[in-house]
Amino acid sequence: MRAYGKFTAMAAVAVIASVSLLGCDNELGKKEYLVTANKPNNLHLIDTETHEVAKTFLIPGDGAPGTVSVSPDGQVAYVITNHMESLVGINLDSGEEVFRADASYDNIRSKHMFAMTVSRDGKEIYSFQTPVRILPGEYQVLDTQIAVYKTDAGLDAKPVRVFPAPRQISVLAPSVDGKTIYGLGPSIFGFNAKTGEIESSHPLREWGRPDYGVPDILAAWPTFEVSNILTAPYFVPRTDKAPDAPDAMKTGLVSLNLKTGEVTTEDFENTSVLIFSTVQSPINPNEAYGVYTQLTKIDQKAHVVSNRIDMDHTFYAINVSHDGKTLYMGGTMDDVVAYDAATLEPKWAVKLPGGGDQGLASLRVVRR
Amino acid sequence: MKHLKPLNNKAELLEKAVKEGKTEEVFQMTIVAGCTATLDPGWEVDVFGGVAALCQPMEADLYGCTDPCWWPAQTADTINTNPDWTDGAPSAQRDWRALQTIYPKR
Repeated sequence: MRAYGKFTAMAAVAVIASVSLLGCDNELGKKEYLVTANKPNNLHLIDTETHEVAKTFLIPGDGAPGTVSVSPDGQVAYVITNHMESLVGINLDSGEEVFRADASYDNIRSKHMFAMTVSRDGKEIYSFQTPVRILPGEYQVLDTQIAVYKTDAGLDAKPVRVFPAPRQISVLAPSVDGKTIYGLGPSIFGFNAKTGEIESSHPLREWGRPDYGVPDILAAWPTFEVSNILTAPYFVPRTDKAPDAPDAMKTGLVSLNLKTGEVTTEDFENTSVLIFSTVQSPINPNEAYGVYTQLTKIDQKAHVVSNRIDMDHTFYAINVSHDGKTLYMGGTMDDVVAYDAATLEPKWAVKLPGGGDQGLASLRVVRR
Repeated sequence: MKHLKPLNNKAELLEKAVKEGKTEEVFQMTIVAGCTATLDPGWEVDVFGGVAALCQPMEADLYGCTDPCWWPAQTADTINTNPDWTDGAPSAQRDWRALQTIYPKR
């Protein structure tokens, strides 16, 4: 009886625990949401349990919203907007504008150009910028840079640090330990998060693979928050093949492990469709997914496409749930869709208020 | 300069610079000016020489490329020169008829 009683008590605790966690997707009792934005300048919080847009906020000023990065506590979304001139922080509970950093000043016209991320501790924001000095008869192109802002700097934030950065960096991602800010560009650069010194560089454009040309990498979607692995598709010509050979162009995946800093580049098919963004499964280290007009499942162990379906229309952005069971897709138009990661069958879809296009807006997964 | 009349924007800038004593800041442009020097082949043909790999529908791609100034020759430069080109037309698929041809501003 005592054993039975103990079992009963444990079962009761389990029932209470399951009730208290009902609707929650992890042990901390937080729910999973999606954050995206659309034209003219709206920010949306999507509840992945009810499949509804939970909140919509108007971002002050001009659009169009682009890269989105959410604070680690899920409370503030930082958005590049205002024709790429401004970086705006919006509180996801109240909709209040809590942060704004305008890149231009005096006769310097500068843009927050795609690459932007919040630090792991939520205290700083890193933004890749492209300043140009506007003179009466000349645009004087200045060196590109990464500007660092304090997240509590308010609505007239100025950089607390600025360090030089190579051109054409399009994604920034912080290492898990927070000590390194990785920049995905012609190479994968590892910047010291405090000093800006480039401490590592993994070549991509100059990768020097025998019988391979220069890879073309379109990386504008920071989707690493679930698996802590940043991935992007690449397309590359084989120099040892005839131009009309089936394997003259290869598609592959570049992966950066944000915990270890390890970089891998693996082909997985002869180029047959375009893929704009990819995401690593958080539960299967050998599985990744990519989207454009098709949704593709990639077997990274066998280096093959294991499944592929046609989408209703083109989507730019893909992300994945924390349990690895659901794929989320957005970007381009005004809808966000969810598909089963195992079967690639559709699960649910939601239309964004206002009907504006998401365009290049990021689709981020947050727990809050 | 009083016998010369500026005929274009560049000449007007030069005249203004002379008045302000800033002629040393006037240089001949040697590069493409605008939001970017990018000129990608766009909606006309895809990387495979066909159209199947273009965005479906084409309008799904319009603002994703226009807003970051990807194809400044084919659509307006909305990040610098024509920031209001898409005002009142947030959905390219629904509102494309509202998008107007633009001309250089004098």
